[in-house]
Amino acid sequence: MMEPAGDALIQEDHELIELSFPAHPDLVVLARFAAATVAARAGFDVEEIEDLRLAVDELFVSLGPMTRNACVRIELDRRGDTVSIVSSFEGVTARSAMERAMGQQDETWEKAAELSELLLDSLVDEHGRETRSGGPVAWLSKRRSFAQ
Amino acid sequence: MPVVVVTGEIDLAVAPSLRESLTELLAAGHCNIFVDLIDATFLDSIALGVLVGALEQCREAGGDLKLLVTEPRILRVLEITGLSATFSIHSSRDEVSSSNSNGGLRERLEEASQQ
Repeated sequence: MMEPAGDALIQEDHELIELSFPAHPDLVVLARFAAATVAARAGFDVEEIEDLRLAVDELFVSLGPMTRNACVRIELDRRGDTVSIVSSFEGVTARSAMERAMGQQDETWEKAAELSELLLDSLVDEHGRETRSGGPVAWLSKRRSFAQ
Repeated sequence: MPVVVVTGEIDLAVAPSLRESLTELLAAGHCNIFVDLIDATFLDSIALGVLVGALEQCREAGGDLKLLVTEPRILRVLEITGLSATFSIHSSRDEVSSSNSNGGLRERLEEASQQ
């Protein structure tokens, strides 16, 4: 039986997109746009694309408040029908780390962190957060549904 | 009853403006507030955190913060986080009008950057 050409391409394709931009909330829309594009290329349906857009936002919430003089780095890795996204801060200084820690004690951020965890649990297949030498890193992975 | 109308994508960039609007209303003594999310298309956890914070302050003052929501994606976010049981959620602007017959303050908060 012949496989549809589009599916065959999706199964074989692998692409990595890297974005880096100043850590400013106005620019998070760039990450959402990139995630939606990669998800569409992986064959996600509209609902799954919307889920991934929200999940990317939640990755930034789990990283904590954005601080001056830092950059956001985001890697979008598509392998077949799975999209993996890693986000991190670059150029984090001791001062900006302290500012971020103080910002996370803000009531809104405390509430958001709990809600964000619930959203990520529901929206993606896997997600996590860890601290590496350069600062916090948040990641997720979402596979296309086969119900299509 | 004041109505805060929120449109577009409410994310990390826009949530501070929403918080500011709600804080101003609370500071002015309003403890019964409607947030109209009918034309909102995206709501992240930061925006939800702002709404939950304002809801708690309204209830502490003896009032309530009610939501107007029809967009399925926004409703889904509220369901996932369990907040659909926390907020009083309405689906029609008529419900606001009827509880606002003496003319309420309307404040419009639009998405800062349209895509």
